[in-house]
Amino acid sequence: MTTEKKAEKKPEYIKVEIARPRAYKWSSGKYLGKLYKEALENRKLVTNRCPKCKQLLWPPAGVCGRCNVEAGEDWVVMSGEGTVLQYTYLVFPLWDPHYGDRLANPYPTATIKLDDGVFLVHFLEEKDPEKLKNVKRVQAVWKEEGRGRGLGDILYFRTIDE
Amino acid sequence: MAELMQDRVEKLKDLDVFVYHGKIYIPNTYTAGAVGSRFLIEIRDNKKIMGTRCSTCDVVYVPARSVCKHCFSQLDKWVEVSDKGTLLTYTVAGQSNGVQPVDPPIIYGIVQLDGASTGMVHMLSEVDFEKLAIGMRVRAVFAEKRVGSILDIKYFAPL
Amino acid sequence: MGNRVAIVGIGQTYHKSNRKDVTQPEMVAEAVRAALTDAQMKPKDVEAVFTSNMETFEGMYLPDHMMVDEVGAFMKPGLKVNTGGTTGASVVEEGFHFVASGLFDTALVIGFEKQDCGDTTAAITAAVTPVWGKGVATGAIGEFAKQALTYMQKTGAKEEHAAMIRLKADKGACKNPYAHLKLGLKSIEEVLNSGYLVWPLRLLDFCPQSVGACALILASEHKAKKITKKPVWIADVVTVHQEPFRAGSFGDPTGTEEYSQDIAAERLYKRNGITNPTKDICMAEIYEPSNWEEMSHYEHYHFCEKNEGWKMVEKGITEMEGAFPVNPSGGVIATNPIGATPTIRVAEAALQVRGDAGEHQVTRDVHTAMATALGGPNWTVVTLLKRSL
Ligand SMILES: [Zn+2]
Ligand SMILES: [Zn+2]
Repeated sequence: MTTEKKAEKKPEYIKVEIARPRAYKWSSGKYLGKLYKEALENRKLVTNRCPKCKQLLWPPAGVCGRCNVEAGEDWVVMSGEGTVLQYTYLVFPLWDPHYGDRLANPYPTATIKLDDGVFLVHFLEEKDPEKLKNVKRVQAVWKEEGRGRGLGDILYFRTIDE
Repeated sequence: MAELMQDRVEKLKDLDVFVYHGKIYIPNTYTAGAVGSRFLIEIRDNKKIMGTRCSTCDVVYVPARSVCKHCFSQLDKWVEVSDKGTLLTYTVAGQSNGVQPVDPPIIYGIVQLDGASTGMVHMLSEVDFEKLAIGMRVRAVFAEKRVGSILDIKYFAPL
Repeated sequence: MGNRVAIVGIGQTYHKSNRKDVTQPEMVAEAVRAALTDAQMKPKDVEAVFTSNMETFEGMYLPDHMMVDEVGAFMKPGLKVNTGGTTGASVVEEGFHFVASGLFDTALVIGFEKQDCGDTTAAITAAVTPVWGKGVATGAIGEFAKQALTYMQKTGAKEEHAAMIRLKADKGACKNPYAHLKLGLKSIEEVLNSGYLVWPLRLLDFCPQSVGACALILASEHKAKKITKKPVWIADVVTVHQEPFRAGSFGDPTGTEEYSQDIAAERLYKRNGITNPTKDICMAEIYEPSNWEEMSHYEHYHFCEKNEGWKMVEKGITEMEGAFPVNPSGGVIATNPIGATPTIRVAEAALQVRGDAGEHQVTRDVHTAMATALGGPNWTVVTLLKRSL
């Protein structure tokens, strides 16, 4: 008798791969449209204020969800300066989820509190992990080209000394 | 790919409203599973169309599937069915939309193979549209080069 | 409140990174069969079927429509639900509401995700509007990385504490036959030596992408008592939604806003006469995509004082043998089939109440257990289970 074992044949499983990008159209609507317009034409960040609780809505919106009231047209031009609250950077390259390419975001991302009190997530110009630890005050740097994309018109936030 | 998929922004005329034309890339992989794989492999390697049979309900599922929808039995009895069958219904697609495997016009039909209890969707060819009729007898035409896809059956043609 | 509702059948698949041997419906059928076997029921005994997953995480639309036959739903009523990360708990809540209303006496609820079929991060990005810039979105992990940084700075917790959580999770996972990652970690150094993925999150600080499904059978009081000797009663479910961007995707970066977790817990405790959560409740299965998130959730669910979540870890309170065990199953950081993840939290908590968790049954006698769920826009679902009502 032989103890030799025949290698078990691995079962073959079939899979079908479909890789088609899906198109969509997204409308800013009236309120976000104002943000897009001001960013595009005047390099300014604007948002509207709730008439009841007086809080800034962010991004601009037609209603205040907290008060359940119509927000209206009380527009405020905000500062392009703020403070970094949280940040992170990719060490292992993830992927560009928009296009499926393997590529890391070129800049660290941060949650920034603008001086007017609203939060936004954006890129930081500073890439050095050590220097990032000390980044506090930042200022928006606007793109020169490819504008018309609201907050996407900002290239990144640059460190400012105070 | 990024190049192909550049998005663009359109500002509506006379309105401060911006429309963002974007694309999102979400790949999809469909795993055929053990039962689905065997069904496709039999066509690819042996030009055999196989179904799974539920003996409780006396039903033969083609394409083969793992569960009987009537009694929830797990199906493991394989039976070969004929490559000939009957056309249950049909339609013609005149517009192309990118997901179709061949150029339009495409005749789609539901064919019940002899020995099967269910109909399967596939394409018909070698036939004039005017001559198509429900109840028509058809046979499977296999592709020369078979890769383990449902398109290893190239189409169904009249007998 | 409506009629009483009990969990009478529990089933789940094993979990791994990919399953080429099954289709999505076949995978889900494994969990359904396990739940039916557990309840000793036939598909015909189930009146309605509710499914949930994260639409598009499989790279396709309406994946649930393909599985009608495989889950025994042929010609039955039912619904599909998707509420984001919480969806697997929302589907339990949905079944609970329908049975409590008296419309159905039995319901099958299912959470599933076959992530090897799609691209989860791409799908998550599709949930972000262009306002915030899709390029900025790094999927879920970037958000949790920033949360970890805040937690560290605010509370003084050290990376070692996060590593202890990871070790605790792995200990549980190794004892759980259904868990995905069973690493057999021996020391916190192994965690601390795993490389950074998205700073300050390391490879071992974050959950895997898993493939799997979980199914529960719910029944009304009179049915439940006929079906099983060990019904697990759903005492309450609370859902709280929070608008995401004012506070950052997964919570307020400044600690000044209210968290949906706090509101949900307070509501649940008040409605159920719970005054001392870690005493009145015996254990919890919580949704922690990262070990840092677990410490933060201890605080937001009022298991400890604010800024002291890491002390619970240090004292070993939440270990399997501890005074208030959390995630003895290994939790989300070991197993994350997203749409099924919150359903598994409820299932594992129910197994603890039944005393059927096997090797990962906690030392403390569990008469009351809590399961939580976390969703993208900081949504929370909390479920309270009891051995007797
Ligand atoms: Zn207001
Ligand atoms: Zn049958």
